[in-house]
Amino acid sequence: MKLFDDLKALGVNVNDGVNRLGGNENLYKRLLGTFAKTIKSYDIQPDFDEENYSEITEKAHAIKGIAGNLSITPIYEGYTQIVSLLRSSEPMHAKEVLKRILPIQNGIIECIEKNLN
Amino acid sequence: MDKEKTILIVDDMEINRIILAEIFKDNYNILQACNGDRAIEMLNGAYDISAVLLDLVMPGTDGLGVLRDMKKSGKIVAIPVFLITAEEDEKTLMEGYHLGAVDIIRKPFMSHFLKHRVNNIIELYGHRNDLAKVVEEQIARLNHLNQSMIEILATAVEFRDCESGEHVKRISGMTKALMTEVSNRYPEYYMTADEVDKISKSSVLHDVGKISIPDRILTKPGRLTPEEYEIMKLHTVKGYDFLMQFPDIIDESTYKYSCDICRYHHERWDGKGYPDGLKGDEIPIWAQVVSIADVYDALTAERVYKKPFSHEKALEMIKNGECGTFNPKLLEAFESLTNNWKNNN
Ligand SMILES: [Fe+2]
Ligand SMILES: [Fe+2]
Repeated sequence: MKLFDDLKALGVNVNDGVNRLGGNENLYKRLLGTFAKTIKSYDIQPDFDEENYSEITEKAHAIKGIAGNLSITPIYEGYTQIVSLLRSSEPMHAKEVLKRILPIQNGIIECIEKNLN
Repeated sequence: MDKEKTILIVDDMEINRIILAEIFKDNYNILQACNGDRAIEMLNGAYDISAVLLDLVMPGTDGLGVLRDMKKSGKIVAIPVFLITAEEDEKTLMEGYHLGAVDIIRKPFMSHFLKHRVNNIIELYGHRNDLAKVVEEQIARLNHLNQSMIEILATAVEFRDCESGEHVKRISGMTKALMTEVSNRYPEYYMTADEVDKISKSSVLHDVGKISIPDRILTKPGRLTPEEYEIMKLHTVKGYDFLMQFPDIIDESTYKYSCDICRYHHERWDGKGYPDGLKGDEIPIWAQVVSIADVYDALTAERVYKKPFSHEKALEMIKNGECGTFNPKLLEAFESLTNNWKNNN
């Protein structure tokens, strides 16, 4: 499947994600779509500008959870770092990590949207 | 595996809920809640929930909030709760355990382990809950059996007196109703429903001392001579002494009121009763309640030597003091209670 191959190329552990769902590929695809929508409504960049760190922590935590469960590894790892940096009061470092992973994140979202439409 | 059991999945993120539902849907009915308040609502609703998978971080009432509610309602004892977490700090997790959570589910989920762990614990809790239910039923049966034995004893005593077992049962029923009414009306006489139940059960023994009264007096058709009457009055003290020989019965909380009731159920509010001539609230309220029930039942029951009096007549006689003086508050409660009975019949 083109979507899965593209995602694998972007570092997503598709096999793990599908296995977590007992091999249900269709459900996995559907959840990827939900993920793309969710992550857009959980955009944390503006919160950084407003220094609303508790809000960011909550959102980053939520993204980390769903990215992990769908095995979208690059995003999962990035947000794991962001959450732990925020928890140890290093928001500037967290912001740097966000900057670094945003292009990868956008690439993955684009790939999902392109293939699902 | 039967699919009769239900799992409640609580997570604010839809994706997490769907994944968990997918993992468990073959073996369980799935309920989903997207926040803590909804979860609490479902837990307190009509669902029979066998386990809760509970996200800790949620907007509004969070996972710990749900746990606190379950602890308060006691549900945490019967329903295993698994905390869903990605990296929560140790303090939060410890608090979760302290509140009664059984285990932790880490994100990302490891489907196979998760399935086994949740299945095992649900099974374990199922056995435990079944066992608790069996023990509860056994205790209820034993209590029932105890009460039957006590009633048999009381009825055997009444039998000599040509009474049926109905007297004992009526006294117990009336005692319960009157004690409840008094407790509701007057804060100084307040008792919990549990205690009222014990008083009602204890009341069946009120005349157990009659076992020691000779036949020629107890069943004498005519009027008792003053000497005979003095002997008859002894049934109060004899009953008390008799029960005092069985600390197992009276120490055991169900029958702890029996001794008082035996000894004092012929005392009167003005001090003119027997055996001790106690006055007013020196007479324990439970004994006062049984006195009134006893007198009313004697008046309204049919005896060899008399026809039953009507409710109105009996009430009038009691209020006039023809059976001795009673606590005015008790009389008020009794009148309203018996009038309610009459109106409802
Ligand atoms: Fe959450
Ligand atoms: Fe008596």
